[in-house]
Amino acid sequence: MASAAVSAARPQDRAISLNVSAFLAQAHRFTVPLLILIVWQALDSFHLINSRLMPSPVMVAESFWQLLVTGQLLGNLWASLIRVGLGLGIGVLLGTGFGLFAGLSRLGEDTVDSTLQMVRTLPHLALIPLFILWFGIGETPKIALIALGAMFPIYLNLFAGIRSVDRKIIEAASTLDLTHAEIIWNVVLPGALPQFLVGLRYSVGIAWLTLVVAEQVNANSGIGYLVMNARDFLETDVIFVGLIIYALLGLATDYMVRVIEQRALAWRPSFIGTQSSGNRANRRAA
Amino acid sequence: MMTAIETRAPILDEARLTRGEAAVSVRGLTRSFGGPAILTDLDLELEAGSFTVLLGRSGSGKSTLLRTLAGLDPAPAGTVSVPKERAVVFQEPRLLPWKRVWRNVALGLRQGDTRAQASAALAELGLSHRLDAWPLTLSGGEAQRVALARALVRRPKLMLLDEPFAALDALTRMRMQALVAQLWQQHDLTVLLVTHDVDEALLLGDRAVVLIDGQIGADIPINLDRPRRHGDPDFIRLRQQLLATLGVDETTG
Ligand SMILES: Nc1ncnc2c1ncn2[C@@H]1O[C@H](COP(=O)(O)OP(=O)(O)OP(=O)(O)O)[C@@H](O)[C@H]1O
Ligand SMILES: [Mg+2]
Repeated sequence: MASAAVSAARPQDRAISLNVSAFLAQAHRFTVPLLILIVWQALDSFHLINSRLMPSPVMVAESFWQLLVTGQLLGNLWASLIRVGLGLGIGVLLGTGFGLFAGLSRLGEDTVDSTLQMVRTLPHLALIPLFILWFGIGETPKIALIALGAMFPIYLNLFAGIRSVDRKIIEAASTLDLTHAEIIWNVVLPGALPQFLVGLRYSVGIAWLTLVVAEQVNANSGIGYLVMNARDFLETDVIFVGLIIYALLGLATDYMVRVIEQRALAWRPSFIGTQSSGNRANRRAA
Repeated sequence: MMTAIETRAPILDEARLTRGEAAVSVRGLTRSFGGPAILTDLDLELEAGSFTVLLGRSGSGKSTLLRTLAGLDPAPAGTVSVPKERAVVFQEPRLLPWKRVWRNVALGLRQGDTRAQASAALAELGLSHRLDAWPLTLSGGEAQRVALARALVRRPKLMLLDEPFAALDALTRMRMQALVAQLWQQHDLTVLLVTHDVDEALLLGDRAVVLIDGQIGADIPINLDRPRRHGDPDFIRLRQQLLATLGVDETTG
């Protein structure tokens, strides 16, 4: 009985130590950034750097709090989120539409692909002056620019994804008496999905980048507006707050895409087993 | 995508598909890929319920013939009649990795409880425990059995097998051969099996046809009792005959 108790306790011990080591492995990743923050704060406290140009972490935190309680932060954040959300949504829809059309039909490829391949070589940010002349200085040019930028990665990856679906699998499926539509739905589109999601990740990145540029060129709301306003009043701490917000938003959307990937591509060997947290801890510890 | 050969090739009446009648009939089939013809004026008939093995050197056109019968390759010249109820198993399992095993098997089924039908077919191949697995987690032998189940579940009259065991290890291959022999005996099936393996041909087939210069160059009945044994003198005699037809000089016998 004693030996049974011992052997029963052991796996538990191991589980705990695994969790601890997993936690330490996590903690390690934050050591260096934390150290930098401390040194930065110390340098500032001893007036070794000009806090007008380089505000201390504490000053940034205070200004963050100020912006939060006055409601400025949330209002501008909301304005930016709306722009990115709409722009990205339209871009993804257009990119998907063109990608399906060009990927699934010869006619689509002949008409759409060559045109888009030509337009693609033009950096979309170069269109800002034109868009302002066309659409004025309201929301339209910003959303249009984000949509345009986000469309291409989706289009290119979906098109390539559809065309690179394994011919042999399509052939095998076509021996199962499936209709054309059923083959597209069951074989071609799922086969193109991984590549589509790669495109989506690029699109999200481009959407944020476009937002930053568009809001700095001209806007009276949004995180970019907050930052440009702060520049005029030499409020470097507010600029820092803006940068941090951008970074957090980028991280958050990237994480969202990764969650989508994990769900949609659950059949991939690299994702199989990652759904349960126990497995994840074990793998990381291994 | 799928080129229907039905338009070109009349489908035989189901009622005629009784043992002894032709399930498959190919007349004057010619196929080339731009260059010289791979199949030239080829004739072949398969009796309903027969198990025919198709042999031939690499590149002789075995897969091309099989793909024509499967409706995957148009027959530009000649007539091809095949039952509409046909299924193909290739050298690779060719499963859809994004569909669970049973959904792969059930794909294309339209009537009744498709999950029940799929799981019955999978059970017959000893895969009841893998119903909900992702294909990429299967072993090679398991995946190939899923492919067989996917073919069987459609209750085909004609089963076309293109080197289905070539990629398996020796032990798994032996099991699969026994399995196919068993399935053929239990279901009302006409089988055409492409293989490079003379022993496999003699273990399974009751007729061996050899593709030579684009035609059926040799047609050898295999009248051996089942289950078959490698050591049987008749087996050894037929083996040498087949190897000689294939142009392999086996002096070590
Ligand atoms: N789609 C194609 N385009 C061009 N040539 C082809 C095509 N398919 C087959 N061939 C050619 O036709 C010939 C016969 O090919 P096939 O695949 O039928 O041979 P096989 O007898 O099955 O050979 P193996 O035993 O190696 O599988 C080969 O020379 C091959 O290169
Ligand atoms: Mg072949």
